[in-house]
Amino acid sequence: MMLYRHLLLAQLRGAMQYRVSFVLDVLSTSLITITEFGAFALVFSRFQGLGGWSLVQIMFLYGMVEFAFGLTDMLFDGFDSPTFAQHIRKGTLDQFLLRPANLMIQIFGSSLSLRRIGRIVLGIGIFGYAVIHNPQVWQLEKLWYLPFVLIGMGLYFGGLFLVGATITIWTVDSTDAMNLFTYGGKEMMSYPMGIYSDWLRVLFTFLFPVALLNYYPALFFLGKPDPFGLPAWMPFLAPIAGFVMFLVALKFWQFGLKHYQSTGN
Amino acid sequence: MIQVENLCKHFEIRHRHKNSWAVLRNFLKRDSSTLKAVDDISFSIQKGEMVGYLGPNGAGKSTTLKMLTGLLVPTSGRLEVNGFVPWQSRQKYVAQIGAVFGQRSSLWWDLPTIESLELLQHIYKIPTARFSSNLEMFKKLLDLDEFLQSPARSLSLGQRMRADLCAALMHDPAILFLDEPTIGLDVVAKQRIREFIQQINQDRGTTIILTTHDMADVQKLCTRAMMIDHGKLLFDGALSDLQNRFGGQRRLIVDFEEPPTQLKLANATIISQEALRITFAFARETRVAELISALTRDHAIRDLRVEEPEIEATIRAIYEGNLLSA
Ligand SMILES: Nc1ncnc2c1ncn2[C@@H]1O[C@H](COP(=O)(O)OP(=O)(O)O)[C@@H](O)[C@H]1O
Ligand SMILES: [Mg+2]
Repeated sequence: MMLYRHLLLAQLRGAMQYRVSFVLDVLSTSLITITEFGAFALVFSRFQGLGGWSLVQIMFLYGMVEFAFGLTDMLFDGFDSPTFAQHIRKGTLDQFLLRPANLMIQIFGSSLSLRRIGRIVLGIGIFGYAVIHNPQVWQLEKLWYLPFVLIGMGLYFGGLFLVGATITIWTVDSTDAMNLFTYGGKEMMSYPMGIYSDWLRVLFTFLFPVALLNYYPALFFLGKPDPFGLPAWMPFLAPIAGFVMFLVALKFWQFGLKHYQSTGN
Repeated sequence: MIQVENLCKHFEIRHRHKNSWAVLRNFLKRDSSTLKAVDDISFSIQKGEMVGYLGPNGAGKSTTLKMLTGLLVPTSGRLEVNGFVPWQSRQKYVAQIGAVFGQRSSLWWDLPTIESLELLQHIYKIPTARFSSNLEMFKKLLDLDEFLQSPARSLSLGQRMRADLCAALMHDPAILFLDEPTIGLDVVAKQRIREFIQQINQDRGTTIILTTHDMADVQKLCTRAMMIDHGKLLFDGALSDLQNRFGGQRRLIVDFEEPPTQLKLANATIISQEALRITFAFARETRVAELISALTRDHAIRDLRVEEPEIEATIRAIYEGNLLSA
């Protein structure tokens, strides 16, 4: 942890040399996020909610995943396929391997995409607003469960980033395919499951358990009944699903490292 | 200290196709070939040795070094360094070695060099007293002062190599691996790096293995040379043996006063003739004095000189594969 802090601080000091481009980066990503959410809110205010979900309820769903995903995306930047592909190609991964320190900590410490801060702040804003306007959430046991759900989502997305990095060990080129699961999964989770067709819903509940991570916990927090009549403990699978995903990803990562071939020179 | 037995590293080279059907077929039926980057190599190195690992581009030098430093898992064979199997106990092992891969840097690109060194202090857990005394010493030996405050990205190639050497040695490694430490440097910078490497080996007893395709590096630094090409170890021994074994012929270059007629020497052959200058080639064992006295008996000679075969030429001959079967 000490090492992680040292490495991150070093990273930040390095990044601060490009202050202008950094500020522009944060501004532009924030602008994109605001526009995205604006469009989203506009659509929903016109329809007066969707499938029995009011705007503030949807904001709860949206804000929760936006925040969790934004934070994970920021922390796992070193594992993000394009960054990790650079580590392989430029030989930084070799340098990490040559140092007597935990490899994953070094990768975590190698980059922190601060430009995601805009997304995170907006996520917190939307989520906070939603919590204030949904009195059903104001119960001690619900607030107590909330961090577990957030951590579950973080582990799930973190696991996906790790899988993406591992695939890059073989492809060397950065793979866009994983974005389908990370960014695509996040988009998917921003809406109530009711808007999807049955087979999609089943797919995203049982095969790629994104519904378990956001939708079902949201039903619990907002005190809404499950329209699909699944067992009452469904909302409590989120931390487990996240944990299992991360564990599997970790195994895959370790397997991948054994097959690391380095690159020329 | 280092023990290598029948070490092999094979790379699967996948053939890429443009056509997407071929890609699919590829996926189903693996269309690939095997490249033997390191092919059945054995050697051992004692503590304190300084060994040059020679070979042309693509010979397998870096691949060998990557296995020795634990970056790559060998395809087969045995490998033990300082009591460790490098790739199995990576973290413990790398704390005891230093490595510089010439075309890469271990420094943080955007940080002042000194801060990179301080980060390495944390990573290697170097006691502060040790860190300062080493830094003082390397500052002097490598003239680091002029660029310690500059970020790595702004250093010249020579400065970067000096900084990287310092970075690799701050934790007092028992073994130092250098992959092409002089690549791309000018003559002066090369010389400086060589002197430093020599000093480290002598003063600290650090075992050093350096790869290079520059003969001069080996000539100036190493008593022992290993030569590799196409993944195979072609030679392992003293540099002078390399000369004797593969050295071939010496040359006698003679400038005559007037165009010679009926020129014939018992133990030498003419290999070139231009105006008054004639070049003879003769076997290593032949005595030069006999050749000269034979020449001066019949001809007027203005000047002559003997040329040893250049090590460079010897190496080239070996690379070209002509002497391999010898
Ligand atoms: N990661 C890799 N994947 C595939 N082939 C590789 C890889 N690394 C090296 N090679 C091949 O192995 C051979 C030896 O490479 P290398 O050890 O880098 O040579 P050298 O350092 O002597 O120039 C070369 O033909 C090179 O193309
Ligand atoms: Mg090389």
